Amino acid sequence: MDKNAFLDELANILDEANVEDAANLRDYPSWDSLAVLSIVALADSKFGFTLKFPDVKGLTTVADLWAFFEKNRTK
Amino acid sequence: MSIEYTPMRLDGKRILVTGAASGIGRATAILASQLGAQLILCDRNQDGLCAVASECPGSQSLVLDLTDVAALKARVAECVTEFGKLDGLAHIAGRPYISPLKTVDRDRFDDVLHLNSYAGLNLAQLFSSRRIGNDGGSIVFVSSVYANVGSAANVGYAMSKGAVQSMTKALAVELSGKKVRVNCVAPGFVQTEMSEAISAYFDSAHEGEVDKLAPLGTGKPEDVANMVCFLLSDAARWITGAIMAVDGGFTAQ
Repeated sequence: MDKNAFLDELANILDEANVEDAANLRDYPSWDSLAVLSIVALADSKFGFTLKFPDVKGLTTVADLWAFFEKNRTK
Repeated sequence: MSIEYTPMRLDGKRILVTGAASGIGRATAILASQLGAQLILCDRNQDGLCAVASECPGSQSLVLDLTDVAALKARVAECVTEFGKLDGLAHIAGRPYISPLKTVDRDRFDDVLHLNSYAGLNLAQLFSSRRIGNDGGSIVFVSSVYANVGSAANVGYAMSKGAVQSMTKALAVELSGKKVRVNCVAPGFVQTEMSEAISAYFDSAHEGEVDKLAPLGTGKPEDVANMVCFLLSDAARWITGAIMAVDGGFTAQ
């Protein structure tokens, strides 16, 4: 999955038409524990790594999240 | 005064236990062995299986992926030829699947459904053949309280475990002609390698919350193994089609 596909998935999870690199994840109205779990599931099924809740706490922007996925992906 | 007949004993019974390398499967294998059963232990995890086999004298080990149906049929048939026909089956192997609806992935869901539900069906099919299983045997499946109680981000797992309960009731009626009993245990939150893997996603505050879910707190694999062995034994000879909650009171709330 490339970055554009990742951003599409993230936008779908957050119920947004699109998401921006610089946006703060916590500013999206749909950001909640279920959204985080969706991102955890996305990491597991499409990127092949285990994303943990504490990892997400340390990430601020959409770009931070993508960078973390890029760094840890196994597929 | 000595008790000469103890119906919870499993002496002389040949029992196949899946998921035997860890958690509830491991605890069931060890208890069933202590109760006198001869066991075929089945798991994908060879090292774990070897460790459990060392605690179950006279047991045979089948290192097997239960979702490989052709291999399952062939290997169980081979084992029965060598070992003798089965009197009991405990299908305990299972896999969690945490995902909110939006990220449910068809391939991942199929894997979960295959192991948690279809594998049980395939095993029951084998067990019901008179070439594999004896009349009057006992099948025990493992479902979950989450088949009956909703929880977020758990739809795939809940569906797979709900299917196990439906299968239990349907097969209890269908196999009654052979006097094969079919029952199901629905555990609550039990401290196992699987639950630890789930907890790893969360922070340490999550652990305290889990322990408060049931009035009696979190269970141990042995708490569920006791019920599985009871259902495998003659003490449960008039019980079939039952869904037994072993959940520390979680579903009593």
